[in-house]
Amino acid sequence: MMAARVNLADATTFPSRRVEEWKYTDLHRILRETPPSSPEATVAPGGPFAALGGEELAFVNGRATGATQIVVEGETTVRLRFVSTTEGTGHEAACRIELKPGARLLLLESYEGQAPRYVSNVVLDITLGDHARLDRIVLTDEPDSAISLARADVRLGRKADLVQTTLTNGARLLRQEIHVAHPGAAFAHIDGLYVLDGKRHADLTSTVTHSGVDGITSQLTKGVVKDEARGVFQGQIVVREGADGTDARMGHHALILSDRGEVDAKPELEIYADDVACAHGNTVGSLDQNALFYMRSRGIPEAQARAMLTEAFLAEVTDRIGREDLRDLCRAWLVERLG
Amino acid sequence: MAAVRETVQAVQSLEKYKHGFVTDVETEFAPRGLNHDIVRFISEKKGEPPWMLDWRLAAFDRWLAMEEPHWAKLHYEPVDYQALYYYAAPKTKEGPKSLDEVDPEILETYRKLGIPLKEQEVLAGVQGAPRVAVDAVFDSVSVVTTFREELSKAGVIFMPLSEAVREYPDLVRQYLGTVVPVSDNYFAALNSAVFSDGSFVYIPPGVRCPMELSTYFRMNAQSTGQFERTLIIADKGAYVSYLEGCTAPMRDENQLHAAVVELVALDDAEIKYSTVQNWWPGDPETGKGGIYNFVTKRADCRGDRSKVSWTQVETGSAVTWKYPSCLLKGDGAVGEFYSIAITNGRQQADTGTKMVHLGPNTRSRIISKGVSAGRSANTYRGLVSAHPKARGARNFTQCDSLLIGKECAAHTVPYIEARNGSAQFEHEATTTRLSEDQLFYAMQRGLSQEEAVALLVGGFVRDVLQQLPMEFAVEAQKLVAISLEGSVG
Repeated sequence: MMAARVNLADATTFPSRRVEEWKYTDLHRILRETPPSSPEATVAPGGPFAALGGEELAFVNGRATGATQIVVEGETTVRLRFVSTTEGTGHEAACRIELKPGARLLLLESYEGQAPRYVSNVVLDITLGDHARLDRIVLTDEPDSAISLARADVRLGRKADLVQTTLTNGARLLRQEIHVAHPGAAFAHIDGLYVLDGKRHADLTSTVTHSGVDGITSQLTKGVVKDEARGVFQGQIVVREGADGTDARMGHHALILSDRGEVDAKPELEIYADDVACAHGNTVGSLDQNALFYMRSRGIPEAQARAMLTEAFLAEVTDRIGREDLRDLCRAWLVERLG
Repeated sequence: MAAVRETVQAVQSLEKYKHGFVTDVETEFAPRGLNHDIVRFISEKKGEPPWMLDWRLAAFDRWLAMEEPHWAKLHYEPVDYQALYYYAAPKTKEGPKSLDEVDPEILETYRKLGIPLKEQEVLAGVQGAPRVAVDAVFDSVSVVTTFREELSKAGVIFMPLSEAVREYPDLVRQYLGTVVPVSDNYFAALNSAVFSDGSFVYIPPGVRCPMELSTYFRMNAQSTGQFERTLIIADKGAYVSYLEGCTAPMRDENQLHAAVVELVALDDAEIKYSTVQNWWPGDPETGKGGIYNFVTKRADCRGDRSKVSWTQVETGSAVTWKYPSCLLKGDGAVGEFYSIAITNGRQQADTGTKMVHLGPNTRSRIISKGVSAGRSANTYRGLVSAHPKARGARNFTQCDSLLIGKECAAHTVPYIEARNGSAQFEHEATTTRLSEDQLFYAMQRGLSQEEAVALLVGGFVRDVLQQLPMEFAVEAQKLVAISLEGSVG
């Protein structure tokens, strides 16, 4: 179904835009040859989620500083950091995460770039047992010369909950992919937020495959592009034969705040069962001129009015985050990026 | 209660595919298969000038170098391009000068299909009744074109493309292949090499075409492909409404239909193009036979404030691959796409549109209603894009899918590409099944299950049906009911 996986050691696996799933994210155009391997390195503990506590598991230049897998029974918080520290090299990291039945994990995942022009490729394999719950926040902070790819394959157990929000400001080329095997009678909440400027590129791609009855999927992605940046949203919801009672909703809404910004969206529904309610909505546009005019008429300077409207537009995504401390942290990230 | 009565009547008049008969006429074929000589043969049969032959041969060479596309969500037996007849024409002495010379069998065919070819018959109705000029294409040739004289008084040219190549070579040469280039896609290249007949329409500046124009395509001969090509040009400030209908006999082989339609709208011109596609869909149980409908339709809104509106009712064909598109180049150009696609039995449809916003202040609207029943699959695939120069581009898209039964599939694959900050695009899509509550209510009011389904589906597709010219809308509504026969229960 999906194209072959990217393997940094094999340049023939770098997809070009001729590969349908990479239509808007042409890796081949900017990466033709295998990058030299990144050397070993160390970083101090910390990262953007340091204040929230929990256990830290860091991959520096692709190498794990501790375990390469997380197995959760009971309830825990893990800060999973992917840090790149060397210029002009490439590295891959793989991590397996398993939630035993009934387990709860708050996964705080960060992508941190401390050098320019690296290539990073991360693969996550996530399994949720029955009644397990994963709260996953993905936050990226990488330079505009880096290439950053991440792919998560998630299998949900019965009555499992996946609740995730991805926040990104892109990179030279950034792609965050998630593929969810949804057995039905489970809940997937997959949100995304992108704020892009300069020539940054961010691609949020997801597929959710419902194969059992009464599954719920809720997706909301919002983004803003400025300058010559490019935002990409690809979301696919598949409802297999017999997956009756599926309720799947997907929304993607973007603002283009410059003449040369670009937003590409491909929200897809593929449905083989009849007793379903599936919908998607997609809008791309600029700020509402009437709202802007109204605010100015109330004495708010234009620049401030624009900032307020943009922030309000994007905050709908962060407002959906349940935990207050996390919500505040994400909102602060957003305000800083818009500043 | 009018709607209910209409529905009951529509359902009562239900019968299986009633266009599935074969007309027994002597037919002249080109030898089976495809090579340079066949292309030359077709060109010679049409008495074409050398430039036209060269154009065909170049297209054929391009086609040989291309590969058949497989990206659509379609599964079908591969087409053996060498097993087809690329030219089939009913035998006549010379081209018929008047209706009296046309083979009575063919006239009978059109009478059975309900297509009026005799002008006096059309006029026999009430004073002021709408009149429609018809170009009837039978396999590879146009057999008759009505109302030509009256149209020519208004300056309107309406004739088979093969005649236009001889009579108006400059006009044809100026526009042919400028909207759908020869190498646009596999089927367009094939069509460019072997196209047989189709309609040519030219509306001069400032003229509002005095009547609806229509082409009726009929595939009759066995093992043939139909490759018609239509070219419509609306000059500055002109208006034309054009209808297209098509049927074919029931056969247990797959037949290929690969047409190209090119529309050109200059400044302030408007073209309304309506299609009711009812090719033989194949056997609903076994999926045997039916038409492969691989069609390229595109409109070039090159003039400022030009407008093209596509309306399609797709109920037939075993496999449909069709994306009527608009290139919105002129300042303030408008593109519209209204579609009803209904699949039943084992039909597959992958259809939608492309709205390419190139000029400033261009607007487009897409309303697509897909209904899948039986074991069919129905895909909406569409592209809306705004280029950096398309400042103020505006699009609204709504695509709804209705599922009837457990074994059918409905897919929605939209591509949205915005490349400037002043474009405003909205897209919404829903997929639901036929409401049990509504069905129960309708049946509780005394409708049978089939009548109730027809009524509800009629309501679902109403937005699009209203866009059809009146004479077509009535037919189309019946067709919707017929297509869904046997889908419930």
